[in-house]
Amino acid sequence: MAASFLRLLAGAALAASLCAPAHAQETVIDQPAASAAPQPAPAGTATPATYIEPPMLAEQVSSGKLPAIADRLPRTPLVVDPTENGRTVGRYGGNIRTLATKAGDLKYMTVNGYTRLVGYDEHLKLRPDILQALDNEDDRVFTFTLREGHRWSDGEPFTTDDFRYWWEEVATNADLSPAGPPELMVVDGERPKVEVLDATHVRYSWSKPNPKFLPTLALPSPAFIYSPAHYLKQFHGKFSDLKKLKEMASKQKLASWAGLHNKMDDAYKNANPDMPVLNPWMLATKPPARRFVFQRNPYYHRVDSQGHQLPYIDMVTFDIASGSLFAVKANAGEADLLAGGLNMGDVPVLREGEHMHGYKTLLWPIARGSAVALYPDLTINDPVWRTVLRDVRFRRALSLSLDRKTLNNSLWFGIGTLSNNTVLHESAMFSEDLQTRWANFDPEQANRLLDEMGLKQTEIGGFRSLPDGRELEIIVEVPGDSAEIMDALQIITEFWADIGVKLVLKPQDTTNMRERAYAGQTIMIAGAGLDNAVPTPIMMPAELAPVRQDSMSWPKWGQYFETSGRSGEAPDTPDAKQLMDLYKTWRSTGDEAVKRQAWQDLLRLNVDNQYVIGTVNGTLQPVVIGPHLRNVPEKAVYSWEPTAFFGVYRMDQFYFDDQPASEAAAR
Amino acid sequence: MIRYILRRVVTMALMLLLISAIVFIIIKLPPGDILTNQIEELRAQGEQVSDAKAQMLMQQYGLDQPGWKQYAIWMGLWPGTDGFNGVLEGNWGWSFEYQRPVSEVLGGALLMTVIVNLATIVFIHLVSIPVAIYTARNRYTATSHAVTFLSYLGIATPNFLLALALLFYFNRWFGISVGGMMDPKYTDAGWSLGKLGSVASHLVVPVVVIGLASTAGMIRRMRANLLDELNKQYTLTAKAKGMPPTRALLKYPFRMALNPFVADIGNLLPSIVSGSVLVSLVLSLPTVGPILLQALKVQDQYLAGFILLFVAALTVAGMLVSDLMLAAIDPRIRLGQGR
Repeated sequence: MAASFLRLLAGAALAASLCAPAHAQETVIDQPAASAAPQPAPAGTATPATYIEPPMLAEQVSSGKLPAIADRLPRTPLVVDPTENGRTVGRYGGNIRTLATKAGDLKYMTVNGYTRLVGYDEHLKLRPDILQALDNEDDRVFTFTLREGHRWSDGEPFTTDDFRYWWEEVATNADLSPAGPPELMVVDGERPKVEVLDATHVRYSWSKPNPKFLPTLALPSPAFIYSPAHYLKQFHGKFSDLKKLKEMASKQKLASWAGLHNKMDDAYKNANPDMPVLNPWMLATKPPARRFVFQRNPYYHRVDSQGHQLPYIDMVTFDIASGSLFAVKANAGEADLLAGGLNMGDVPVLREGEHMHGYKTLLWPIARGSAVALYPDLTINDPVWRTVLRDVRFRRALSLSLDRKTLNNSLWFGIGTLSNNTVLHESAMFSEDLQTRWANFDPEQANRLLDEMGLKQTEIGGFRSLPDGRELEIIVEVPGDSAEIMDALQIITEFWADIGVKLVLKPQDTTNMRERAYAGQTIMIAGAGLDNAVPTPIMMPAELAPVRQDSMSWPKWGQYFETSGRSGEAPDTPDAKQLMDLYKTWRSTGDEAVKRQAWQDLLRLNVDNQYVIGTVNGTLQPVVIGPHLRNVPEKAVYSWEPTAFFGVYRMDQFYFDDQPASEAAAR
Repeated sequence: MIRYILRRVVTMALMLLLISAIVFIIIKLPPGDILTNQIEELRAQGEQVSDAKAQMLMQQYGLDQPGWKQYAIWMGLWPGTDGFNGVLEGNWGWSFEYQRPVSEVLGGALLMTVIVNLATIVFIHLVSIPVAIYTARNRYTATSHAVTFLSYLGIATPNFLLALALLFYFNRWFGISVGGMMDPKYTDAGWSLGKLGSVASHLVVPVVVIGLASTAGMIRRMRANLLDELNKQYTLTAKAKGMPPTRALLKYPFRMALNPFVADIGNLLPSIVSGSVLVSLVLSLPTVGPILLQALKVQDQYLAGFILLFVAALTVAGMLVSDLMLAAIDPRIRLGQGR
C-alpha cells in the first residue's frame, strides 16, 4: 500500500527514470582460469611501511585502553589495493545509516561484512581472507595457515585452538550437535582427520575429495568451523560448573547448558554483542532496541595499500522501521546505503527524492535464474500426471506457449531479459542457446507437441483431457505472500488456455506447500528460479541435479539422495540418471576443466528438458547510496549467492567523501 | 452494590480463563509453529537447515509437548521446567522471537502505546465535542453542512493512505523524520527538552491519522444525540423559563447526550493498548500493535497469547467500570434490580 500510493504521485517520472540505467554498460564476471585452489593475494601489493591510526580509536590508544595499531594488526595483514578494482583509497570516519525491519535482519551485517576463511572477490575468484594461505591437495587435504598475531574483536588471540575447540568440543559433541558435524565436514559418512600442527597451522584430510568444503566456507551464510574458545568455554559443560550453567540456562528458558552454549555461540545472527567476531564491524548495542549500532573492529585484519586499517567507515547504524516506509525514508534522505526491502516498484519514489537530498539510486541486475519459474513435479504420486509431466514434449509445450515479452512488459517495465531459468548474461558459462532453447513464443508448435502426445481437445477451443479422461487442469501452488508471482500466473493462465491447458492458481502457506510437495501431492509449484545464476565451476551445481528435497521439480529424488536412500525414490528416468552422473563427476574431481564441463552439460540438459520453466530474468534491484558514499560499484550483480549482497564488493572499502558526488565530479 | 461487584468480578475471572483457552487454541490452529516459520524463513533465503537441528530446537523450546500441556504450563496450571510459573503466578511467558520474557518485550512498547493512544483520545474529545455542539445548535447553516461533509470524508478515508501522505509532506514541509516516535538521533539519547519536542512533533501525524475516523464518527453521534434532546419538552421548558441558552444546553441535554460515551469506556481501554495496529505498522511506531501482528504472523504463541489476553482483560474491566460509572452519573439506572 505504501508503494502504490506514491507510485501514483510519481507515476509520470517512471519511464524517464528507468531508461537510462537500462542502457548502461554491462559487467561480465570473469571465470577463474586456474585451479580450484584459492589464489594468493595479488602480488605487488606490498605491506605498507607504517599504519595510520583511525581517529576514532586514537583516544583509547593514547589512554592505554587499546594497543597501538601495529600491535593490533596481525604480523601479515591482508593488504588490499582499492585502485586495482578502479576504486580510490578512502579516508577514515563516518556512519552509514541504514534500515532494518527487525532485529533478525542484523544477520545481514555478517553477510555484507563478508569476512570468511576463504571468500570470493569481485570476479568470483576464491581467495584466502582470514587465512594467510591455504594448501589444497586434490580437494582431499586442506592445510590452513592462520595469520600470526591475528586477534578477535575483544583482543584475544585467534589461533588454531579455536578450530580445535569447534571440532572437538562443539561439532562432535553429542549435546551441542546431536546430528553430528555439519554436512560440509562429512564425505560419504567419513569424518575428516583434523590435525592441529601448531598455533597457526591446521589440516583437514579426507580419503575422498570434498569439493564442497571451500565453497561452503565462502557462502553468504557460511559454515563457521572455528569458535572463540576463550569466550565460549564459560558456557560449556566440560569447562564450567554444571550447576551454575543450569541456573543460567533456565533463566533463559533453556533446558540445558547445551542450549545456552548454542545461543551464545552466535557467529552469524548478531544477536549477542558479547560474542567476539572477526568481522569489520561488531555489534555495540545490546538488544532489544529500536536502533542498533555497529562499531569498527579495532583488530580487523585488512589494511589498504597506504596503511589505513579497514573498514574506512567507523560505524553502521540500523534503525528499525516498517518495510512499507523504506522507500519513503530513502526518499527523505534518511539512508546512506539501502537495497534489501526495496523493489522495482519503488524506483519512481526513489528517483523523485534524488535531486532534493542528493542520494543516488543505482539499479543492479538481480542474479536469479528467473524472476518467476514453474516447477512441474516429476515425482508426483498420481500415475497419470506422472506420465504426462515426465514427457519432455509436455514441458516444452508449456514453455513454448509463454509470451514472455508480454510478461516482461506488464510486470517489469520491459527491463528484464526473456530467458529460460538459467545462468545470466553476466556469467561466463552463458550462451545464447541456454537462454532461448524452447523459450521462443510458438503456440503452434506447442499445440502440435500436445497433439502428438494424444492429449485431445474434446471441443474446439476447449481444454484438453488427460489420457484417463480427466480435464487437463494444472493446479499451480504458490506461496501466498508473493504478489509478483501471482500476477505473473494470472497472465500465464491466458497463454495456457490458448493451447488448451487449464491453470488453476492455489495460493498456499509456504510450509504447507513444501510438505505437500515432499509428499508428492503437488502438480506444479511456482517460485523464483536458480538461486545462483552467476556460478563458477567450483560452486556446487546442487540446483541442477536431483540432489535436494527442496528442489521442487523432483522432491522425492532429492529426498532419496539427501537421506542416502532411506526415504524418497531413486531417480528412474534415463535423463535424471544422466544428471546424477554429471553431479557425481563434478563431486569426485579436483580438476576444474572437468568441473566446468559438468556444469555446462548440466545447464544444457536442464534447459533442453525444461525441468523448470523460466520466464524473465535480469530484473533490477534499486540500491540507494548517500551523496557522500564512495567506492560502491555503479553497476554490479545483486544476489544472495554467490555475491553475498554487498559482500564481494567489499563494504569495508566504502568510505565517505567530504563532498557530494556531483561536486566531486565537477572538481 | 458490593455483592454486585463481587459477582461481576467472579464472572470476569471465569470469562478470562475461557478467553485464554480460546486465544491459545486459535493461535495454535494454523499449521506449523514459531520454529517451522523461522526455518522456513531461513530456507527462503537459501540457507540450509537440517531436520535434526530443527528437532533439537523443538525440544529446547518445549514445543514437542502436546498443545494442552503447553497451554497449562503457560497459564501456570501445570509445572514446567521451573515448576508452576505462569500467567497466574505473574510470569507472562517467554517470547521465542525476541528471546526474552514477554514482560521485557512489552515494557517499553506499552508506554509508547499509552502515550499515543491517550493523546489520540484527548484529541478526539477536544475536537469532536465542541464541533458537535456547534453543529447541533446551528443546523442547516453553511458551516454546519461543511463540517458534516468533512466528517463523512473523515470516516471514509482509509487512514493508512492518509498516514503515508501526511508523513511524506510533513517531511517535505517541516523536516520531520519519516515514521517512528522521534528523530533517529534521539533514539539512544536520554530525555531532554529536544527529545520531548521531537516526540511531540512526531505525535502529530499518528494522532491525527488514528483519531480522524473516530473524531468524525463521534461528531456524528454526539450531534444526533444532542438533536434528540434539544427537541424534548424539558429543554423547551428551560428556555421558556428564561435560562441562558448555553447553560440550557450544557446543564441538561448535553449531560443526557453523554450517556453513550460513558458506555463506550469499555471499548476505550483496550484500544488504548492495542488500537491502531495498521496505522502503527505503516508509521513504524514502536507500539504494541506491530508487535502483536508480528507475533501472530510468526506464531510466537506466548507473546501473542499474552497480548490478546491482556486486551481481553482490559475490555472486561472497562465494561465493569463503564457500568459503574453509568450508575453513578445517571440516577435512572439501578444495579441489580429487575431480577
